[in-house]
Amino acid sequence: MANSGARLLIIDDEAQIRKLLSVALRAYHFEIFEASNGADGIRQASTIRPDLIVLDLGLPDESGIDVLRTIREWSQIPVIILTVKEREEDKILALESGADDYVTKPFGMGELIARIRVALRHTAKSEEKPVLDFGRLVIDLSRRMVWVDTKLVKFTPTEYELLRLLAANAGRVMTHRQLLKQVWGGHPLNSDSNYLRVYIGHIRKKIEENPTLPKMILTEPGIGYRFME
Amino acid sequence: MKAVKEGQRLESERVNKGTKANGIQTEGRSAVTEKMMVCVSGSPFSRELIRTTRQMADHLKMKWAALYVDTPKRVPKTMGDRMEISRNLRIAEDLGAETFTVSGTRISDEIISFARKHNVRHIVIGKPKYSRIIEWVRPSVVDQVIRKGENITFHVIPGRREIRTNAINYIFPKHSVEWTPYLILSGIIIALTLLLRLLGPANDLVNVALLFLMPVLFGASRWGMGPGFYASLMSILSFDFFFVPPVQSFTVADLRYILSFAVFLIVAMITASLSSKLKNQLKEARENEKITLTLYTLGREMTVVDELQSTMNRIVLQISDKIGFQAAIYLPDKNNELEVAACSTTADWAQLKAGGAIAKWVYLHGEMAGRGTQTLSESPGLFIPLRTEDFIHGVMVIYYGGFHFPDSLEHKRLIEAIAGLVATAIARIKLQEEAKKAQLAAESEKLRAILLDSISHELRTPLSAIIGSVTALSDHDEVFGPEDRRELLATIRQGAVRMNRLITNLLGMVRLESGMLHLNRQWCDLEDIIGVSMKQIEDSIEKRELCVEINDSFPPIKVDELLFEQMLANILSNAVKYSADKSRIVISACQKGDNIEINIKDQGIGVPLNELDHIFDKFYRLKTNAHVPGTGLGLAIAKGIIKAHGGSISAKQNLDKGITVSISLPMKD
Repeated sequence: MANSGARLLIIDDEAQIRKLLSVALRAYHFEIFEASNGADGIRQASTIRPDLIVLDLGLPDESGIDVLRTIREWSQIPVIILTVKEREEDKILALESGADDYVTKPFGMGELIARIRVALRHTAKSEEKPVLDFGRLVIDLSRRMVWVDTKLVKFTPTEYELLRLLAANAGRVMTHRQLLKQVWGGHPLNSDSNYLRVYIGHIRKKIEENPTLPKMILTEPGIGYRFME
Repeated sequence: MKAVKEGQRLESERVNKGTKANGIQTEGRSAVTEKMMVCVSGSPFSRELIRTTRQMADHLKMKWAALYVDTPKRVPKTMGDRMEISRNLRIAEDLGAETFTVSGTRISDEIISFARKHNVRHIVIGKPKYSRIIEWVRPSVVDQVIRKGENITFHVIPGRREIRTNAINYIFPKHSVEWTPYLILSGIIIALTLLLRLLGPANDLVNVALLFLMPVLFGASRWGMGPGFYASLMSILSFDFFFVPPVQSFTVADLRYILSFAVFLIVAMITASLSSKLKNQLKEARENEKITLTLYTLGREMTVVDELQSTMNRIVLQISDKIGFQAAIYLPDKNNELEVAACSTTADWAQLKAGGAIAKWVYLHGEMAGRGTQTLSESPGLFIPLRTEDFIHGVMVIYYGGFHFPDSLEHKRLIEAIAGLVATAIARIKLQEEAKKAQLAAESEKLRAILLDSISHELRTPLSAIIGSVTALSDHDEVFGPEDRRELLATIRQGAVRMNRLITNLLGMVRLESGMLHLNRQWCDLEDIIGVSMKQIEDSIEKRELCVEINDSFPPIKVDELLFEQMLANILSNAVKYSADKSRIVISACQKGDNIEINIKDQGIGVPLNELDHIFDKFYRLKTNAHVPGTGLGLAIAKGIIKAHGGSISAKQNLDKGITVSISLPMKD
C-alpha cells in the first residue's frame, strides 16, 4: 500500500475517538501518535514530524483553529479537520487557514481514509502530470484540451481554468473563495459566488451524465466543490 | 322680607355648626360604615376645608371623601382653574380621602344624591360670603343643600372676604361687551316704531305693546340678558313716547304702563336666562358629541391592539388628526429612561428633545405640566401623564407651538380622556404581552413533556438495537456465521444512522425555536441543492424513481443553502418513507409571479384531508402511522426553515394517490 508506514498524529480530546481512530487506522498500516490537547498536539507535531495531522476543532485548551494556525507558521503538513455539521463557518475558516480537508462527525471510516489518502498524495506529488485522466474525462494540460467520453468538448477559458483547478485538486474540497481567488484573482466578494455557480452549472452540463445528480463535481453545501476521481 | 329673615337664620346656624364641630362626636353614630365628605371647588379656600375635614374625620375615626360637582353653569374659566380643582382633589387624596367628581345641573341635588348613595352622614361645606342682595336673589348652594339634606349633619365653614370675588367669578363668567346686538336692536325698534306710526293701528295700545315685546324676546333669546334689558328699555321708552297718550312726551297718564315696563323687564330676564341655558346645553351637547366622536374613533383604533410601536404610531396620528395639534408619546425604555416612542410626522425633533426633561418630570411626579398648567406654563407643549390606577406608563405631549392654546374645559376634558385611553391601550398591550409570555411558557412546558417522551422512545429504540447487536457479537462471537455477523453489523449501522438523524433534527428544531438561527443567504442554484438533498437520502431511495423537472432558465434563488437543502431532504425523506418501492416522486419548480414554487409529489399512502394542515406541526404523527418510526419533527423543521426564508409550505392530496407538498418562496432583489 502506497501510504503504509505514514505517520499520523491524532489531536482529539475524546479518548474514545482517539481509540477508535488508532485501532482502525493501524489496520490500514498507518503509524499512529495521539495528543489529547492542543498544546501537546503542537509539541508532538514539531518533535515527531508526522506526515499528516487529524485535528479535532473542539479542543479543551485552545481552539483547533489556533492549533492549525500555529502549526502552519512553520509547517505545510497536511491537516484534516474533524468537526460537527452545524459549524459551517468553522469549516470554511479552517480550510482558509490552511487545512487540507474536513470530515464531519459522525463520519464513516471509509470516508476518513479516502480523505487521508488524497491529502497524502497531494503532498507527495512533486511535478504536475501533463495529462489528467479520470476515465470518462481526460484533460490535456499542455494543450488545454478536454475530452469527455473520448469526444473533444469546447470550454471557455474561465470554464477550463475552473475545471483544471478542481481536477488538479481532485478529491479535495475547494472553498468558493479559494476557487474565485485562483480563477478570477483579486479579493472576491461573497456575491461573486453567484458567477461561480453559473460556471459550475455550465461545466456540469458538459461533463456530467446527469447534471442534477453530478458524479464528478460535487457540491459541498455552504462550503464549496469537490472534484471526485 | 321673609327670605331675608331666613338668610339670617341660616347665617346663625352656620356659625353654630362651624363652632360646634367638636361636639358632633357625642352623636355617636356607627363610625365604621358612615362617611364624612367635603365639597371641593377650585378655590384655595377648599384646601382649608379639606384639612379641616381630615382633622374631623381623624377625630371621629371615619373614612372621608372629597367631592367636586361639575356643572355647565359653573364653568371654570381657565385651564388654570381646572388645574386648581384637580390639585385640590389630589391634596385630598394625599391626605387619605377618596375623591370623586360628578356632574349634573344642580350642585345641591348632586351633593345630596351622592351623599345618600355613599352613606355620607357628615358634609363639610364652605360658604362664600355674598352680599345680602345676592343671597336674596339666589339662595346659596349651601342653603339648598341644607334644606334638602335630612339626616345629614352639616359643617358649614364661612369663607373669607378675598375669596369671595373669586367665587363670584365662577358664577357669572364675564363677557366682553359686544356692540352689534345693541345696534341691531336699536334698528329693529326704530323700524318697528316707524312702521307702527305710519300704517299701524296706533290707537290699539294693547297690540302695540305686544308688538314691542317682540324685539325684547328677540334680543333676550338671541344675545342674553344685556341686550334683552336694553331692548326692554328702548321698547318702553319708544312705546311711551310715541304711542301712550300724551303722545310725544314721556309723561305717563296711566300708571298701568309702569307695570308694562316691569313685565317687559321680567320677560327679557326669563327669556334670556332660558335661552342662555338652552344655548349652553346645546353648546355642551355639541362639544360632548365631538368629544365622544373623537374618543370613539380613537377607542376603536386602540382596540386593534397589536404591537406596541405600531399602536403608538397610529394613536399619535389619530390624535394629531383629531385635535389638530402635534402630539408625541414618551415611554420608558428598559432602563426606565424616557424616550420618544411615537410622534407626529411633522414634529420637530429639537423640540421633542427639549421636551424630554419636562416629560421626565411629569413621569416622575404624575402631574401635568406645560402649557395651560401652573408648572412650566411657558413651554410650547402640554405634558400629561399616562396613568392607569397607580401606574404611570409614560407621558403624552400635545404641542401647541405658536398657536393659541384652546383654554376650555372641553379641550381639557378631551385631552384627559385621550390620555386615559392611551394609558389603557398601553396597559392592555403590556398585559397581552405578559399573557403571551405566560402562554409561551406553558406551551414550552407541554412541549418539553412531549419532547422527553418522544426522544426517550426514539433514542432508545435504535440504541437497544445497537447494544443488543454489539453484545451479541462481543459475548458470543463464535456462534455467528459470516452472514449473521454482517446482518448484526448492518443493524448497528442503521441504528446509529437513525440516532444521528434524530439528533440532527432535534438540534435543528432547537436552533429554529431559540431564534438563534441566522440565515446565510447566498445566490444558489436550486437544481444543485435538490441534487445534494437527494444525495443525502440516497440510502433510503432504493428503487424509487426520483424525477427533477426544472427549466434550464430557472433563475438563481437567494437562500441559506444548507438549511434549504435540509428542508428539501426532510420533505423528500418523508415522501420516500411513506411511499412504496418503485413508486415515482416528482420534484418540480416553477416561477409564479413574484414567487418561486417547488412541488414534491409522491404516490405514497397519503394523508387524510382533516390531518393535512397538521402534518407540519411539531411532533404531529398520523394516527395510522404509529408503527412507522419517526418523531414528527422533519416537516416541522422544513416549515420552520421556509418560514425563516419568508416563504410558506402546504400540502394537498393528489387526484390519484399520495400528496403534493408545495413550497412557495418570494423572490428577493
